[in-house]
Amino acid sequence: MVSLPFLFLAARRPVLRRLALRNAARRPRETALVVLGSLLGTSIITGSMVVGDTLDASLRQGAQTKLGPVDELVSTSSATEQGELTVALQALDDDSEAIDGVLALTTLPAAVAVLGPDGEALRAEPTATVVEVDFGAARAFGGDPAATGIEGPTPAPGRTVVGEDLAEELGVGGGATIVVYAFARQLELAVDRVVAQRGIAGFSPGFGSRSPNLFVAPGTLAELAQAAPAEAAPPSTLVAVSNRGGPLEGADATEEATAAITAHLGTAPGGLSAAKSELLADAEAVGAEFTELFGSIGFFSVIAGVLLLVNIFVMLAQERKSEMGMLRAVGLRRAGLVGSFSLEGWMYALVSALLGTLVGIGIGRVVAGVAADIFGGAEQSLELTFAVDPASVESGFTVGFIISLLTVALTSLSIARVNVIRAIRDLPEPAPPRTRLRALVAGAGIVLAAGAWTAWGIPGDEPYATLAGPVLVLAGLVPLLSRFLPRRLLVSVAAVAVLAWAISAFGVLPDAFEGVEIPIFVVQGVVLTAAAVALATRNQEAVGAVVRRLGGGRSMAVRLGLAYPLARRFRTGMILAMYSLVVFTLVFIVVLSNLFSSQIDSFTADVAGGFELQVSSNATNPVPVEEVRSRDDVVAAAALSDADAEFLTPRTEGEFEPWFVTGIDEVFVGQGPTGLGDVGTYPDADAAYRAVLADPGLTIVSDFFLQDGGGPPEEPLEPGERITLRDPVSGSARQLTIAAVSDSSFAEAGAYVSQDSLRELYGPRATANRILVATSDAADPEEVAAELNAAYLANGAEAETFRELVATNLASQTQFFRLMQGYLALGLVVGIAGLGVVMVRAVRERRRQIGVLRALGYPSGAVRRAFVVESAFVAAEGIFIGTTLALITAWQLVGNDTFGDDLPFAVPWAEVALLVVVTFVVSLLATAAPAQQASRIRPAVALRLAD
Amino acid sequence: MTAAAAAPADATATPVPILSARGVRKTYRSGVESVEALDGVDLDVAPGEFVAVMGPSGSGKTTLLNCLSGLDDIDEGTVMVDGQPIHELSDARRTRHRAASMGFVFQAFNLIPVFTAVENVELPLLLAGRGPKEARARAEETLERLGLGERLRHRPPELSGGEQQRVTVARAIAGAPKLVWADEPTGNLDTETAAGVMGLLTDLHAGGLTLLLVTHDQAIGASAGRRVVVRDGRIVSDVHQPPSNDGVMA
Repeated sequence: MVSLPFLFLAARRPVLRRLALRNAARRPRETALVVLGSLLGTSIITGSMVVGDTLDASLRQGAQTKLGPVDELVSTSSATEQGELTVALQALDDDSEAIDGVLALTTLPAAVAVLGPDGEALRAEPTATVVEVDFGAARAFGGDPAATGIEGPTPAPGRTVVGEDLAEELGVGGGATIVVYAFARQLELAVDRVVAQRGIAGFSPGFGSRSPNLFVAPGTLAELAQAAPAEAAPPSTLVAVSNRGGPLEGADATEEATAAITAHLGTAPGGLSAAKSELLADAEAVGAEFTELFGSIGFFSVIAGVLLLVNIFVMLAQERKSEMGMLRAVGLRRAGLVGSFSLEGWMYALVSALLGTLVGIGIGRVVAGVAADIFGGAEQSLELTFAVDPASVESGFTVGFIISLLTVALTSLSIARVNVIRAIRDLPEPAPPRTRLRALVAGAGIVLAAGAWTAWGIPGDEPYATLAGPVLVLAGLVPLLSRFLPRRLLVSVAAVAVLAWAISAFGVLPDAFEGVEIPIFVVQGVVLTAAAVALATRNQEAVGAVVRRLGGGRSMAVRLGLAYPLARRFRTGMILAMYSLVVFTLVFIVVLSNLFSSQIDSFTADVAGGFELQVSSNATNPVPVEEVRSRDDVVAAAALSDADAEFLTPRTEGEFEPWFVTGIDEVFVGQGPTGLGDVGTYPDADAAYRAVLADPGLTIVSDFFLQDGGGPPEEPLEPGERITLRDPVSGSARQLTIAAVSDSSFAEAGAYVSQDSLRELYGPRATANRILVATSDAADPEEVAAELNAAYLANGAEAETFRELVATNLASQTQFFRLMQGYLALGLVVGIAGLGVVMVRAVRERRRQIGVLRALGYPSGAVRRAFVVESAFVAAEGIFIGTTLALITAWQLVGNDTFGDDLPFAVPWAEVALLVVVTFVVSLLATAAPAQQASRIRPAVALRLAD
Repeated sequence: MTAAAAAPADATATPVPILSARGVRKTYRSGVESVEALDGVDLDVAPGEFVAVMGPSGSGKTTLLNCLSGLDDIDEGTVMVDGQPIHELSDARRTRHRAASMGFVFQAFNLIPVFTAVENVELPLLLAGRGPKEARARAEETLERLGLGERLRHRPPELSGGEQQRVTVARAIAGAPKLVWADEPTGNLDTETAAGVMGLLTDLHAGGLTLLLVTHDQAIGASAGRRVVVRDGRIVSDVHQPPSNDGVMA
């Protein structure tokens, strides 16, 4: 649609069409550079959407591989209840239009191993799931046997069917023997066959792509559980419901099915969860989150692309100034000139948007691949399914195209405003009058509107109005006051004030910026760089004087190299803005990344409390805590119980949200748990923890409690607030009061309650499935962890030191920062391409001047050096502005505890220096070719062509 | 007729020429076509001479200037400027030689737009190795001498055409070159301003400056002491004449 006016113009105005086409074809190499520079914006937008699509599709894949026909799951508290519910729902199945299948499944987390001849474990999977299901019923479940992944008969007692994930992990196939460890017993099973990871065969609700399942004969788990020790959770008894429709479409009927189930039973079953629709909603949310994340950080590069386009078009107009004057003189109206430029720009925008979309798909593939690797830990690896939604391609193309087109159209409007005689004679435009009425009116309008926005935004803690409102007021004051004060002074003062505000706003009005999302940082970056570039551009002469002094006043190359960027303020400002913006974001990310990764010791101390390592194990076969306590190298061992839970809080808008709960014991508190950020009414952390131990109605939560997504916590709960804890299986609930809030940056802990409190609510399912271990001074925690892993393999023990845990977490975080840096570096390509384009055009524009200089005796080497000095000056200034702003902003944010308390500010000088040097050197390399070309200009040729 | 054939009528002893060209040929090639721009040119110019090179459009006047000054390469022949075979010098040495001994005035002024008037004028002095202070003083002095003392800090776009050309002349003579080349120096100026600029050049010549000026303007040609006519890349007339100021001062 947006192309219609251009197509109409091209069809109806052949002269404009010819002019646009021939101008575009006039210099193919430069046209290619223009297209390259502008396509990156589209590719970044498309890329961010493809990242979202791919992650969405990868997670949605789980709907088929891990759930198949399962749409809802009901957790029951016993096999009896499971049986009754299955029968009741089967009756519904016969009548209901919403559901088409009911299936009873019993699952048990267990360790599984392949043993050697001497009984040693050759291969093991500590977190396998033993599934008991009737294969006939499973295959019939949902009406599409292929979607269930179940084949053949139900395994007989003593035999098993293994899912392909587990088979791969253990390296087994049909005929092999494996050993299952559960309830302190071991069960030897012969493998009948391997089934594909699909539907019921791949059954695994939850995050991650893996389903290490093995299927056993009915009754096997009940028999195993008979001799279960007191400290062991029973198997999970589930009833799966399949809605009408395929694995994906079925989720659409979840509401209807839930209503039907509730109506049929007379009440909503306690443990009912919409497994499929939740998984799909999560997939959509993760996809959208990634699209927003990469779209937001990529926005800096998009702005750089827009600046590049503006710069190119202004340069084109300058180069063609006399032609434009002639065209106007021979009768072409200003609208025609705008049309000609716009038509040419439309062609560039179209080609670059098309190519940019293709490049964006490639970028998205690479980014999604790296992101999947980062998120894919060994336990929860996410298998990547590359996907491109045609709607994303269409949106990426459209947004990129419209941004380019708007830029081109607005720039064309501005540059077509030429005085015919001045254009023909290539005379400079006179300086605009100091105070034009139009500028005064615009300034007054901006001040009034922005003032009102600020007045509305600051009291309401509205982050955008708080940050940008005062900035716009200052910007509007410049034209208003320029009647009374010199413009340079005004712009400089306003720019300094804007810089001060944009840097300090987060500290001055912290409430307005609590829980803000990435786009506010994008606005902050844009405001900061715009102000710094305005300041630099208005004071270029002073900057140039300093550089000249440093660079040697006698050097002709320095003199000439500085003369052009100082004289061409607009052009220099545009390149400066591109460089500053991109370098700002890159350095900022580098500093942030380092802030976290260098804090391994303090983070470890933060999350470990008085312990060195933790041992997680299967709830059905937990590691006996007394055995761990009895070791010589162990000083103390706290038994914690982690369990899935649901919470209703004043922030969850009436809905229960999933999180987990942790039961704590006396040893945990005595040994020194993690610190607390807010102890509420208690004198210290110890008192708060002891209160929770003593009172089952109290809890301690982390400030990341119920938070999703990255970044600082949004509206964390406070001491004194009341929340409701519900057991998702039994539906039993309890009111809790928040005693204190921990500021541990790792969401490792659930809401802390006392063991007794948890046991009251969860019954035998509250087992000590996590042990925190304090080792003796002489012991090496890593060795202790390794020994515990070996000793308690049968319990599915996973012992890990806190240091290792923190290091793994930080490594993922660092990798993710690297990914963002890589993505942001695309903006650097725009900046460097921009500098290259400007220098190539500068050579052409100054051909005659270079000829004169050479005629006067200017050596060719000095011409080359002058061009290098010119680009070095602009690049260095941009890099300096970007780096300085990034360091100040990061320092300010860290100082305000935006990323948590006690995070010391440190600059990774080596990394920053590397970034700066690489950017600078690549910028010079981009200038090498035009500089060489300039030095080869023969004076007579240049003068002859020019005259 | 060649320069050798047309010896100065009043010369009793031939001075060593500051410019000596022998058998200079220059061909421009464009695709399959080639144009003989200079076809065996011989020319000697003595120190202090004012030579006007004239001829119709496309005759090769500017090419002659470019080739003899070393701005452009030649295909055949030799050119000695101030005793140096300029086309046998490397580009760097030729450039240094040009900076030290020649000045140029172009029709389109060709000032560097981002430099002020004084910065433009001091440019060749700095290139010739003068110190910045000396170069600045000399440039200011030259501009003041040419009546531009009030316009030292103005950039070219802020100057009138006549002022720009005077800056160009100042730039050409500030370094006291042995030879000044001027290519249609009044081509872009109105009659009055052109007369002013020519008067300036004539005065400078009267002070001992060697001047080789390309023009198609008969009146300006008449103001030179020697008139060389070029046609189809050859010198067809080389006449010494008493200079006249009629056309210049009109």
